[in-house]
Amino acid sequence: MLEVYTWEPNANSGKPLLCLHEKQVPFTHHYIDMGKLEQFSPAFLAINPDGTIPAVVHDGFVMTESTPAMEYIDDAFAGPSLRPADPWWRWRMRQVMRYMDNVVAPSLAMLASNRLAAPRYAEVDEAEKRRELEKIPLPERRAAWEKLMFGKTPQADLDESTRRVAESFDLFEDLLAEAPYLAGEEFSLADINVMATFYHLPQSYPDDVNDQRRPHMMAWLRRCHARPGLQRGFGTGRGFITQRAADVRRLLGVEDAA
Amino acid sequence: MIELYHGGPTGHSASMLIALAEKGLDFTSRPIDLAGGENHSEAFLELNPEGQVPVLLADGSALTGTFHILLYLDEAFPAPPLGGENPQARYAVHKWGKYVETHIAPNLAIARWALMGGAADARPDGLPPARAALWRQALEGFSEDQVSSARRALEKAAARVSQDAAATGWLAGAAYSVADIAAYPHLAQFAALGIALPAEAQDWLARVAERPAVRHAAGDMPLVATMGPELGRWG
Repeated sequence: MLEVYTWEPNANSGKPLLCLHEKQVPFTHHYIDMGKLEQFSPAFLAINPDGTIPAVVHDGFVMTESTPAMEYIDDAFAGPSLRPADPWWRWRMRQVMRYMDNVVAPSLAMLASNRLAAPRYAEVDEAEKRRELEKIPLPERRAAWEKLMFGKTPQADLDESTRRVAESFDLFEDLLAEAPYLAGEEFSLADINVMATFYHLPQSYPDDVNDQRRPHMMAWLRRCHARPGLQRGFGTGRGFITQRAADVRRLLGVEDAA
Repeated sequence: MIELYHGGPTGHSASMLIALAEKGLDFTSRPIDLAGGENHSEAFLELNPEGQVPVLLADGSALTGTFHILLYLDEAFPAPPLGGENPQARYAVHKWGKYVETHIAPNLAIARWALMGGAADARPDGLPPARAALWRQALEGFSEDQVSSARRALEKAAARVSQDAAATGWLAGAAYSVADIAAYPHLAQFAALGIALPAEAQDWLARVAERPAVRHAAGDMPLVATMGPELGRWG
């Protein structure tokens, strides 16, 4: 029995979802609406007391770290292998995921949530926000949500995130000039990890990620978006992610798989 | 031939020295004087622009990122196996590797820096922006809030070690693994910082410490005031 608790099929939630669709492993999907803070509801805290999504539960074994959960899915289930056989390329695959998880994705999350979610909280009553904050178990998450809800993210932090994201485009362009995928000749967990956060770049960062400036990233985005497994995974959203992924495919001239 | 640039038997470098000893691998040892700031020297930054040890030279390239070098060693040199005995154990190995890097090491660096009064000769100017900013913040000194929240995070880490080690005696599954090797040199510093370990964590620490490879590679581990990885910036 495999149960997966996620929000929309992007960022951390996208990692196990896209991975399972690539491997064609059947699972039961539970949609946890982060827009309604359902990850802090008593029902979900019973599954993951830290109140973070995604959670992947396999025969009672609970996994709450998204990148290690991808390694587990590739390890425990049949289907096409999503990790290179060579130890050096595996090291590379994991270092790319580490950079994404520790440096790039949190920067993009900080920028996107301040742009999209922060304005909504400006309208919400202070006592109500305090009550919501009380429900967040992890102190580091509570601190981030507090900054978000009260518009207290320092400008210097936002600027540093902008710098990190811009720097990452150069780094990924260099990596993808070396090989068609992030861990060599074959598609791997690193590509899933990065796609889960970068799938929309030609639409969201058109001045930075286009055929003139970043040809290798663009070729990689087309290769990844053309994959039936990723298309199926991105198709599982209920919010705007599914539509956005389809819009990006059209922008890139990528056909929808049958 | 493997070469290891390391800061001696402390922190992440100790994990590498232990793993190489467990695997029985010969290597050329290149000690870097962390207390003297040699990790920020021009020569070392050519090898790793981030100015962090350890760096492993193998396969003609310079590998960084301690936990991922540990996995590399386990996969390139499979005997004796240290990666976890089944998928559940291997998940736990990955979970601990990540937790050591993102929660334990950065908070330990802050608590240790506060206790030891910092380092005199850090020379952060040649570092890339994010590392330079971290070192400048350290040189200015961490606030009481930062230090107390670091210590709370370490107390929580001690509880997690205790919880995971309670079942089998090891952190990931039924056998000693890379998870134990990654966590041990950091947990071994808790006592000196006045952070109490619950009984199960104390037993686990003693169990790891008495392994011949650990005694050989990291029998005596000094405290060194140096910055670890960056603390998470967004939850």
